[in-house]
Amino acid sequence: MTTASLPAAAAATTPERRRRGSQGPVNSSPPVTRRAQTRLGLILVAPVIVMTVVFFVFPLANALYYSVVDFDGIDPNPQFVGLANFQEMFLDPEVWHALGNNLIWIIIGTAAPLVIGLLVSVLLWTTRAGTSPYRVIFFLPYVLPGVAIGIVWGWIYDPVSGWLNQALTVVGLGDLARGWLGDPNLALYAVLATAVWASTGFVIVILLSALRNVDIELVDAARIDGANPAQRLWYVILPQIMPVFLMVLTLTLVGGFSVFDIIFIMTGGGPAGATNTIGTYAYSQAFELSRIGYGTTLALLITVLSVPVAVFLNRLQRRLSLDGSGA
Amino acid sequence: MRKRLVLGTAAIIALTLSACTGGAPQGDTDPDSIRFLIGQPEDTADLDLVKEDLEAFEEETGISVKLDVVPSENMRTVLQTQLRSGEGPDVFGYDTGPGFAGALEKAGLLYDLTDAYAENDWPIYDFAQERVTFGGKLVGIPNEIESVGLFYNKTLFADLGIEQPQTIDDLTAAAETIRDNDVIPFAVSDKEGWQGGHLLSMVLSSEIGGDAIEELIAGDAAWDSPEVVDALSVLADYNADEFFTPSATAVTYDNANALFYSGKAAINPTGSWLAQDIERNVDFEVGYMPFPASGSPGIFSGGLGSGLFISKSTAKADAAVQFLDWNLTEEHGKWQVEKQQSIPAFPVDTTDIEASPLFTQILADAAKIADGTGDFGYNVDVLMSDTFNEAMWDGVQALLTGQKKPDQVAADLEKNY
Repeated sequence: MTTASLPAAAAATTPERRRRGSQGPVNSSPPVTRRAQTRLGLILVAPVIVMTVVFFVFPLANALYYSVVDFDGIDPNPQFVGLANFQEMFLDPEVWHALGNNLIWIIIGTAAPLVIGLLVSVLLWTTRAGTSPYRVIFFLPYVLPGVAIGIVWGWIYDPVSGWLNQALTVVGLGDLARGWLGDPNLALYAVLATAVWASTGFVIVILLSALRNVDIELVDAARIDGANPAQRLWYVILPQIMPVFLMVLTLTLVGGFSVFDIIFIMTGGGPAGATNTIGTYAYSQAFELSRIGYGTTLALLITVLSVPVAVFLNRLQRRLSLDGSGA
Repeated sequence: MRKRLVLGTAAIIALTLSACTGGAPQGDTDPDSIRFLIGQPEDTADLDLVKEDLEAFEEETGISVKLDVVPSENMRTVLQTQLRSGEGPDVFGYDTGPGFAGALEKAGLLYDLTDAYAENDWPIYDFAQERVTFGGKLVGIPNEIESVGLFYNKTLFADLGIEQPQTIDDLTAAAETIRDNDVIPFAVSDKEGWQGGHLLSMVLSSEIGGDAIEELIAGDAAWDSPEVVDALSVLADYNADEFFTPSATAVTYDNANALFYSGKAAINPTGSWLAQDIERNVDFEVGYMPFPASGSPGIFSGGLGSGLFISKSTAKADAAVQFLDWNLTEEHGKWQVEKQQSIPAFPVDTTDIEASPLFTQILADAAKIADGTGDFGYNVDVLMSDTFNEAMWDGVQALLTGQKKPDQVAADLEKNY
């Protein structure tokens, strides 16, 4: 039976009506109180509005402006070029190459830390004691500055004196020794491996926290019913931590769209653009070739691609949380 | 009440905005104090020398200098931002090329020094003055003359029975001998990319000569000509023959220098600016030669290093010009040669200067560049546009990683000229 088919009197008592009715006392409050509440409300939201304007609306408007001018970083009166920067972006083969690298980064850079992080966190969760040192060790890379990680891994990968090649040589795998960051077919994956190493610790710690809220009785019941470890993980544990899992997924996924620092430090987008992503390509155009307008247009592309994904995952996470299906 | 609320909200917004922007500029108004911005030198000892020099200037003139140092790779971004904000340094060190100082002059951000040149009779070489002349105005003073060539381990060469190569065939034979003795022949690095431009400059300059490379730079000859392809082929062949550092595109400039310092590499293809660092770090004898050509010893690629410029918006032009004038005195020139081992862009009597044999040789070669008595090539990247340089740097990286062939790289150069 639908609300529309209810008699008028009954319809008046639907939840919708009751919610509206609940505003009655507020409306009937004295004007002074209403003004005070309005004032308080404005004061409370003002900081958020100001911050949104300063840190989001203004930079976005600024970026939109620079995307339609030919700005070299110096000229105070850049020429208006309309949509020429956008047109160039779609016709620029390096953009598509960089987007391909972003895609590789998003897929591997998201999947690897999540899978490894989930498995390690479940392992630590099921271990009764002595896990604290491991948690510290796993989390440590995440708190290290990205620049330091990039520099140190650059040394590790060095073709002549790096210990990776030296270790391979010592164990008899000298044929595998190579210039990891100088080989256009390998460099992106070498940087990616570093990024996975650096971000997995974060995933482990967050998922480990979520696992503490998992209902053990459900896991035990599944075990008694004959579910194997993989089935218990997939059907019992994972659904309970899904909102947190989605939150981590969102963070790593969106990071894949805007990845810049570790690639910039380790390869600078080279050799010959082989490891360029949209982030490093935008930087190169804006600050190395002084094409701020085109670089800004490329940066807007990152926003346009990543925001819908982030919003979708955020909504999914919220829905799961409201459904009570997660930790 | 509503009015107070609106005012209060406006105040919060204003405060927040001012907190974000740092508020109104609060410039230093002391006319006897200037701010000097430079890129981080390669070696901290060089920075100490700069500080020592500034102290001497302060003592001599009573003008204090506040030194700001930023990482060299950030210099362009930092400088452009500061100059555009009107809060730039009074004096700054910057590259002299058209893509650097030329771009700043075009935007009207540099102080016109034409009158200062005339009033102070600054004795800078004519060719050097041309490099800091944009739009008919002299906008800076060149700091130093630089050359690009091959530093080589003389001791190792002697141990292996190798004479200084006089032709490219000699060099190839020497590299084979060195490689066969388990030493890396050339400490080539190209991770940063700009080193590729220096490699091409030195091979090309030697092979075609100064006039021909000048034609290429001026656009009177094509960059996809057979001569350019041949020069690129030399790099590709040397790389294929394992004369270069393994995976040179994964090796940083500092690491390649370390290979040379440690004796693991025999030849370091770089510029005269590294002479002092080399002498500080090696315990063997070092020689310096041009990249040999097909039938001759070749020529050095020369050019200007950075220069000193004054911000157009400075309120302390007199003090800033006085600082530049100090840098162009005979005494300062001698100090520069002796202490910094760099070559001033104006004549300096070096007869009573104590310098190492290596730097004495560099000085003599540079003198030929300065007075025009010797043929010299050009370090291409300081004279070309950013777009061309990007194509050249990416092109050499692509060459060394097998992504492109010499003729493809040459075609890219011509396309991006």
